[in-house]
Amino acid sequence: MASEDEINILVIVIDVNPIWWGQQAQREPKFTLSKCLDAVMVLANSHLVMARTNKLAIIANLYQESHFLYPSKNWKSGDDIASSGDGKYELLSVANDLFAEEIRKLMDRKVNCTQTETLLAGSLSRALCYINRVSKEVEAGQDVKSRILVIKAAEDFTLQYMNFMNVVFAAQKKNVLIDACMLDIDSGLLQQACDITGGLYLKIPQKIALAQYLLWVFLPDGDQRSQLLLPPPVHVDYRAACFCHRNLIEIGYVCSVCLSIFCNFSPICTTCETAFKMPLPQMAKTKKKKVKTVN
Amino acid sequence: MASLSEEVLLVVKRVRQRKQDGTLYLMAERIAWGPEGKDRFTVSHLYADIRCQKISPDGKAKVQLQLVLHTGESSTFHFANVSTALKDRDATKELLQQLLPRFKKKANKELEEKNRMLQEDPVLFQLYKDLVVSQVISAEEFWANRLSLSSVDHSLSNNNKQEVGISAAFLADIRPQTDGCNGLRYNLTSDIIESIFRTYPTVKQKYAENVPHNLTEKEFWTHFFQSHYFHRDRLNTGQQDIFSECAKQDEKGLKSMVTQGVKNPMVDLLALEDKTLDEGYGTAAAPSTSNVTKTLRENSNCAIIKRFNHHSAMVLAAGLRKVEACSDQTSETSSTDGNSRDSDLFQPPLKKVKLQEAIEYDDLQSDCRRKPISLNLKKSDRYSHGPVPLQSQPYTSSQDILNSIGVIQHEMKSYKPRLTQVMSSSAASSAITALSPGGVLMQGGSQQTVNQLVPSDVQSELKHLYTAAGELLRHFWTCFPVNTLFLEEKVVKMQSNLERFQLTKLRPFQEKIQRQYLSANLTGHLEEMLQAAYSKFQAWQSRRMTRKT
Repeated sequence: MASEDEINILVIVIDVNPIWWGQQAQREPKFTLSKCLDAVMVLANSHLVMARTNKLAIIANLYQESHFLYPSKNWKSGDDIASSGDGKYELLSVANDLFAEEIRKLMDRKVNCTQTETLLAGSLSRALCYINRVSKEVEAGQDVKSRILVIKAAEDFTLQYMNFMNVVFAAQKKNVLIDACMLDIDSGLLQQACDITGGLYLKIPQKIALAQYLLWVFLPDGDQRSQLLLPPPVHVDYRAACFCHRNLIEIGYVCSVCLSIFCNFSPICTTCETAFKMPLPQMAKTKKKKVKTVN
Repeated sequence: MASLSEEVLLVVKRVRQRKQDGTLYLMAERIAWGPEGKDRFTVSHLYADIRCQKISPDGKAKVQLQLVLHTGESSTFHFANVSTALKDRDATKELLQQLLPRFKKKANKELEEKNRMLQEDPVLFQLYKDLVVSQVISAEEFWANRLSLSSVDHSLSNNNKQEVGISAAFLADIRPQTDGCNGLRYNLTSDIIESIFRTYPTVKQKYAENVPHNLTEKEFWTHFFQSHYFHRDRLNTGQQDIFSECAKQDEKGLKSMVTQGVKNPMVDLLALEDKTLDEGYGTAAAPSTSNVTKTLRENSNCAIIKRFNHHSAMVLAAGLRKVEACSDQTSETSSTDGNSRDSDLFQPPLKKVKLQEAIEYDDLQSDCRRKPISLNLKKSDRYSHGPVPLQSQPYTSSQDILNSIGVIQHEMKSYKPRLTQVMSSSAASSAITALSPGGVLMQGGSQQTVNQLVPSDVQSELKHLYTAAGELLRHFWTCFPVNTLFLEEKVVKMQSNLERFQLTKLRPFQEKIQRQYLSANLTGHLEEMLQAAYSKFQAWQSRRMTRKT
């Protein structure tokens, strides 16, 4: 029974990369972006209904930008909101309307696509900032539990590795869980993020049943998950990649000055240009001795 | 019966042991007792086995001597000869006192050490039980490694033995007991006597002068305790007292110590005086010392405080004296036993040092060490890519991109959430089956940990096996590289020990868990470790054979 003093913040980061979704629409017309957004909306509504003090934020993750779909800056309380007419809880109807409006506006804009990958690190850091702000605004004595759910469609963007890891460690420090729901391809980075922060990582076999997976696996918060039987954690590949070929290696050579990793021994480290002395093999010396005694 | 080669040092007749009459024999290496009329000894103890002897108090009717052995047993001998019982008993005691220390030292210490180690460490005790009691390895091998540590300490401590300090309360610890008839009984041990001699060298002098010429030791100490020198109120009334000189010398010593003062220029002893609280939390100055009319109580307080100060100063001095005596015979600083040697010449440097200490702080000084070498990275962008292998991104032509964007924008223009038709029930139910236990997504999660499957007694037995195996394997692996003959023999022995361990301990355990239908593979790792050891041994043996041939 969640106490009145506990606030649960759920931030959903949706990947709305138009290129991927456009290709997806052509591949599989049954499951398009609208369906995905509907499923996310169901999850959002469920979360808001679970407890009165639950808070929600949705961030759309585009290339080159991330955009808050809910709560939106344009919404002012007290506005004349057309009631949906079916007796729905007002908060839900407001949220849904705002959500839909924002995504429509977002997609309508002319986009300048020089890069086609989605910027995940940026959205995650904005999510963390939102969580931080809300945590500071609560009254004294109220507990804040927060988590971020990432719904990812396209592939990883490898150039954001450092930023991404920084975000993940910041989330770990702040006790924010990062969950991941993968629609298409496995992502090593998100696996690591989930492992480090203690969240759940799931790759969905059937995209049309997305809503069911979201409600079953990602709706319960951290405390409740220990009571439920959920998919076991995946085995994360923590191997490092060598600096010369970017192969994943298990045993390698590390420069003691700059800590760069190599798969083969080389007498000079190419990163910091330190020279290493190679120990001479013992065989050479004994052979010389033998030669002498013969003579 | 005693062997002919044994030398008999003392024979005492009419000694009863366990209500039987007999004779007590003290030999060169043992003490033995045989009953009257019989040829054999029923009781025989080596001096090495005896921990200590005890005698019955003087007043008792029965004159007895008790021997306590290391093992805790004790034998009591009752000297029954009416006329000479006491003399016999004392003669025996003296002889034992001389003989026991000779045999005492070595064996007893080692055994005590071993017992102590076994008692203190339950893991060690368990290991001992597993390995030695069940005869997997012999006791010597077990203790070989462990005792080496303590023997090193032993040799070190013999060389630089630390001086035992003097307890400041040694005089107070004597604690006289009333004798019943108006007398006091002081218990003096050799420790206390030594403390007295070290602290008060004058008393030592007196002792050297008078004992054993004029007074016996007992008389000397009686005089000591009777004299006012010892007691609180020192009234130097000029009595015929050997200790009155000591008192005068102490006074002189105290005076010189006071005049010498403290060498630290930061400390001003004269500024310390008693201040009492006055009205309004102010301080009231103590009555000036020039006031002649001191009360009697103040006088005696003064005297006792002076004695306390003197006593403490002497105790500290005794501790320092030994150190200075070994280090520097011609010390520049004055000695601290009350006789001052003025060292004005050397005061300025000391004062300077003290002043500097007070005004300078080391960690606030600027750091003028050499600058360390800085890191020079040429290709620092290598750090920024993560453990993501280089993969070629799938190429999307710009036409594709524009197409996709167009499709999406078209779709989103008319986006209206239809929350009642999010998914079909068949899709939902298939998702649920995938998520239920045993479903596609739930593989590998619901295993119980080994912790929960295996009963705790099996777990603890496994832990013991691991400790024992670890110990044996440690002995085995430390033999490599095999350089000496001793190591060769040890390796062979350890190999046989390991095999014996596997046979006697591991196999029964495996059978036991099989019988209990435990499917978990608990001993796989142990087997692997033993196999590694065996293969190493075989490799070493084959190499040895090839080298020999």
